[in-house]
Amino acid sequence: MRKLSVAVFIVNIVYSLNSFASPEILPNMVHEKVLKNGLKILVKEDHRAPVMVSQIWYKVGASYEHDGITGLSHVLEHMMFQGTDNLEPGEFSKIIADNGGRENAFTGADYTAYFQTMEASRLEVSMKLEAERMQKLKLQEKEFVKELQVVMEERRMRTEDKPQGQTYEYFKALAYTSSPYRNPIIGWMQDLEDMKLVDLADWYKQWYSPNNATLVIVGSVEKEHVFALAEKYFGPIPAAVFKPIKKRIEVPQLGIRRSIVKQKAKVPYLLMGYKVPVLNSVDDDADVYALEVLSGILSGGNSARLASNLIRGSQVASSASAGYDMNARLPTLFLFDGSPVQGRSAKQLEEALLEQIKQLQTNLVEEKELNRIKAQVIASSVYEKDSNFYQGMQLGMLETVGVGWHKADEYVDKVKGVTAQQLRDVANKYLIEDHLTVVHMQPEETSNEN
Amino acid sequence: MRINLVTPLGFVLLLISAQSIAVPTIQHWKTDNGASVYFVPTDGLPILDAQLVFDAGSARDANKNGVAALTSALLDQGAAGQSAQQIAEKLESVGAQMGVSTSRDFTSISYRSLTDNTALKTSWAVLNDVLNKPDFPDVDFNREKERTLLGIKRRQESPATLAQLALYREIYNNHPYANAIQGVEETVSVLKVGDLKQFYQQYYVAKNLTVVLVGGVTKEQAKMMVHELVGRLPAGEKASLLPEVSLQEEGKTIHQEYPSQQTHLMYSLPVLKQNDADYFPLYVGNHILGGSGFSSRIVKEIREERGLAYSAYSYFHPMRQKGPFLMGLQTRNEKVKEASTAVKQTLETFIQNGPTEEELTAAKKNIMGGFALKLDSNKKLLANVVGIVTSGVPLDYLNSYTQKVAAVTQEQITQAFQRRVIMSSMVMVTVGQAVDQEN
Repeated sequence: MRKLSVAVFIVNIVYSLNSFASPEILPNMVHEKVLKNGLKILVKEDHRAPVMVSQIWYKVGASYEHDGITGLSHVLEHMMFQGTDNLEPGEFSKIIADNGGRENAFTGADYTAYFQTMEASRLEVSMKLEAERMQKLKLQEKEFVKELQVVMEERRMRTEDKPQGQTYEYFKALAYTSSPYRNPIIGWMQDLEDMKLVDLADWYKQWYSPNNATLVIVGSVEKEHVFALAEKYFGPIPAAVFKPIKKRIEVPQLGIRRSIVKQKAKVPYLLMGYKVPVLNSVDDDADVYALEVLSGILSGGNSARLASNLIRGSQVASSASAGYDMNARLPTLFLFDGSPVQGRSAKQLEEALLEQIKQLQTNLVEEKELNRIKAQVIASSVYEKDSNFYQGMQLGMLETVGVGWHKADEYVDKVKGVTAQQLRDVANKYLIEDHLTVVHMQPEETSNEN
Repeated sequence: MRINLVTPLGFVLLLISAQSIAVPTIQHWKTDNGASVYFVPTDGLPILDAQLVFDAGSARDANKNGVAALTSALLDQGAAGQSAQQIAEKLESVGAQMGVSTSRDFTSISYRSLTDNTALKTSWAVLNDVLNKPDFPDVDFNREKERTLLGIKRRQESPATLAQLALYREIYNNHPYANAIQGVEETVSVLKVGDLKQFYQQYYVAKNLTVVLVGGVTKEQAKMMVHELVGRLPAGEKASLLPEVSLQEEGKTIHQEYPSQQTHLMYSLPVLKQNDADYFPLYVGNHILGGSGFSSRIVKEIREERGLAYSAYSYFHPMRQKGPFLMGLQTRNEKVKEASTAVKQTLETFIQNGPTEEELTAAKKNIMGGFALKLDSNKKLLANVVGIVTSGVPLDYLNSYTQKVAAVTQEQITQAFQRRVIMSSMVMVTVGQAVDQEN
């Protein structure tokens, strides 16, 4: 590591000509306005290129659904492109395309969001159209029947024919008891088959209103202009009255849960998850940031522990990673997944992962290792600014899950403040056997060898 | 502009707005040992992106299929006496990122770092070691080989991957493009570490390298950094031209049985080289046929009319030698006949009659009006510059891009499709379960 060549010395001098002293001086201004009807608007100006992204986020998703109607939010998202009082099916997309735009939508457990990326002067086009489909969706049987087929094809592609995808579905259903996170976002096939147009109409009426939405605009726009356009198009839409959403807190887990999922697969696969809190579920967020850093220690890059110790090192894993979504609306899982190398079993991989956890519970992480994770977080916070879309995602998601967009500003400092002691503490507090769910995906030989 | 005169009035405005977008100037120089360097300075973010592109894709594997991919995978697994762990630690200690990928045509090393003094100096030194002094340690070689073999095994879990592999085998026959990028079990299992070293020595040379830099450094810095990075690489030889792709006389239909609920369908033939004279008519035409999501004919026919698939698409993939024109979808096994008939019918109609005037106008509006979106981040800028310089189009390609799109006519599209997309030579691959068909 010390073998720096002579040339580096020369370059060293040139580097210091750099005009950027530190990444932390970058502006990060978000402007907020709430219309009288409750629509929240967030604007982040970025004038690097003459483009903008417009995203509208609704506080509804798979975790708002209950048994029997799973997949409803996602099918409704599909139907939002299938016509309104003033737009034919597909016309929304055609207008965006005519204006040089790219558009799509996505549904998660905690949100449904629609977006258009366009040349900045086209902002008004997207606002006008989004305001139209916020209140005037025209749900038609013919489009519904066809779109439901499309969604079933989507499900077959993502789940039925993907061994690891299907395993993850069974895993979640085992890990959660009363939390709505137990259901797949795309819905169970039976629920899709049973879905009726009237279910969608009810769902639309219940959740699509200005006071249940956040409009996020990032790009080469001027905030007052954005607010004025939003007032013009969304202002006249009446607010809706909501019943408070049921909390549906997960019941405490009282012991390890295990299952085997057999799949027509070739390589074994392991999923493990521990019940953990999220930003939205705690008053004191110290543990949440510690868990976030812990996931970095385990799999934040090629030097992190799982790559270092399990893929290299003992070579028990062909792949292994850890993950944690601190921005979920409800308490979630601290996840591990991976595949063993040829000749080793999922059980051996599980033991190796448990050993890594035990080390985190016993020994303090070294300062140098911790600093490496923090350096990556700081750098990523700059890299993210290269993408308007990502910046919009961050704001929209935080706002929609209930955490509030201001949390984005705290992220880097909170991560920087995490100590080795805290990491050991959260490893002991949360990564415990009684709160663990383990699923082994077992390859099942099929008759169709290729 | 003269071009405005022949442009329908409706999108004169669009043309103008697209023109007003500042298209970056690509600066270019060669290093003493023969590497080509391209640089675009950007303001606003303290980030440097770089991509090192070697003409060293899997098409160079010769009889050692998989060697290009495995060679690239080993670069950062030990270099200049440092272990994989030390390399990763050094890079990640300053938040820098590095990745390696191999396609049929190229192997690319991509790099991203903050531009502050410490980060840039540290990470550039890592890139330097990885590029110039990979050690190919035995233990890392054996491990990465095993991981590749497991990856090859896992391909059998994905009908989509199997369909793509089968398609390339069929349409490219004896051409090097026919082979899987990662290789197959028989070829990878016999690879020796010496094969990788030999591949590295032959292809990781200055004359075979293109360097692209985009970001917040000055030209002076960029020159110095590139000199330091590649100055010691042997000049070597540029990789020879790949053999031409010969079109099959007769098309084929291949079915591979697989226990999935959906059948994955691909319909294809080799068509387009990089920098091909027919590029713009074919690109705009395909935008209408299957390249623009909901606006495209194939999505309308397959998804919107019939509800047969979640995703249906077509694309031209220009390569060093003729890359594929490919139409694809996935549908439940019972519907594959209906879907394949619709795909062929849609293509046949398009080849015969071309697009309508209305479709062409809409496509131009979308492509030209969305031009700014191609260049709105350093990442996209980098990808565009890499595409431009590796395909050999002029460096001012982006400056005339919207004019070239605007100039495409219905007749050009129809003729280009009729000349280039020969349906009687096309191969259809299906992977799924053969079952009784529904109507």
